[in-house]
Amino acid sequence: MKAISFDNQSAQRVYNDYMQRCRRATSILSEKDREDVLLEINSHIYEFLTANNTKDQMETLLNVLDRLGAPEETLKDIVAAKKIGQATLTFNPKHLIQALVLNLTNGVIYFILFVLFLFEIAFPILIILKLIYPDHVGLFINSNGAFQYGYMSESGSGGISIGFHSHAKVTELLGSWFIPVSLLTAVLIYLGIIFLLKIVKKNKTK
Amino acid sequence: MKVEFIENWHSQFRKGLLPMFVFIILEKKKCYGYELIQDIKVEFDIDVGEGTLYPLLVRLAKEGLLSPQWEEQPSGIPRKYYSISSEGKSVLASMKTYAGSILKKINE
Repeated sequence: MKAISFDNQSAQRVYNDYMQRCRRATSILSEKDREDVLLEINSHIYEFLTANNTKDQMETLLNVLDRLGAPEETLKDIVAAKKIGQATLTFNPKHLIQALVLNLTNGVIYFILFVLFLFEIAFPILIILKLIYPDHVGLFINSNGAFQYGYMSESGSGGISIGFHSHAKVTELLGSWFIPVSLLTAVLIYLGIIFLLKIVKKNKTK
Repeated sequence: MKVEFIENWHSQFRKGLLPMFVFIILEKKKCYGYELIQDIKVEFDIDVGEGTLYPLLVRLAKEGLLSPQWEEQPSGIPRKYYSISSEGKSVLASMKTYAGSILKKINE
């Protein structure tokens, strides 16, 4: 990217510092998206300076930077929008969780998505635990009809539990089916997250 | 009269119409970001902030309603020109029909 050069040294330093802040604010994006955002900001500053050419370069620069606002705030929406695009295109869990965290403050739907993602992480962990402790992980049901999906030891338990009391007689229902069922659930939740993200992305333009 | 209330309503009303204003301008000619801000100001008397316009352009482009394209300039600093896509034109037509029907009801 070609940097704008200023005769005024102070203006040059202010501009360099602003672009550096933009680079930091977009560091989470892919190299291509990041370059695209930076080029457009640079272009905007250049066009503004050219159209409002005055003797006082510093004042004109400060005017355009003032209009653009703090990069950390101004670029938040752009970064969030581009990150959703990247997450839905690549199906990469890293981009997906970054997009969810970035958009967490934008509405309740993202909170729901975030909770779904936590479940998404829990299922693979349970699969690993099932391999290590086959007798302690599964779908347990007790004599009162309450159930628990997850890890259970004699001293405590962890997982999805409804009205479960470890004192009652416990039976494990899934056996060796636990791993395929967990895997399938994790895949379904993942597809659900992607589907919800696509709906959110469409609604954002309405 | 509640001047402040009316002014707030004007601002919200124009903000809601912003995607349509962008489409109307881009239907006439392709524009880069700074130029678009100036044209919106002249045509619709709205001083839209960069922090509002650019995220909107990103979303409209991601939806395939706008087609952005970088063009090299003699200065060495390229411009990103936005033009309206054929899908964007259909959306604009639908927006105009809807806005027209609302205006008709208001004036009845």
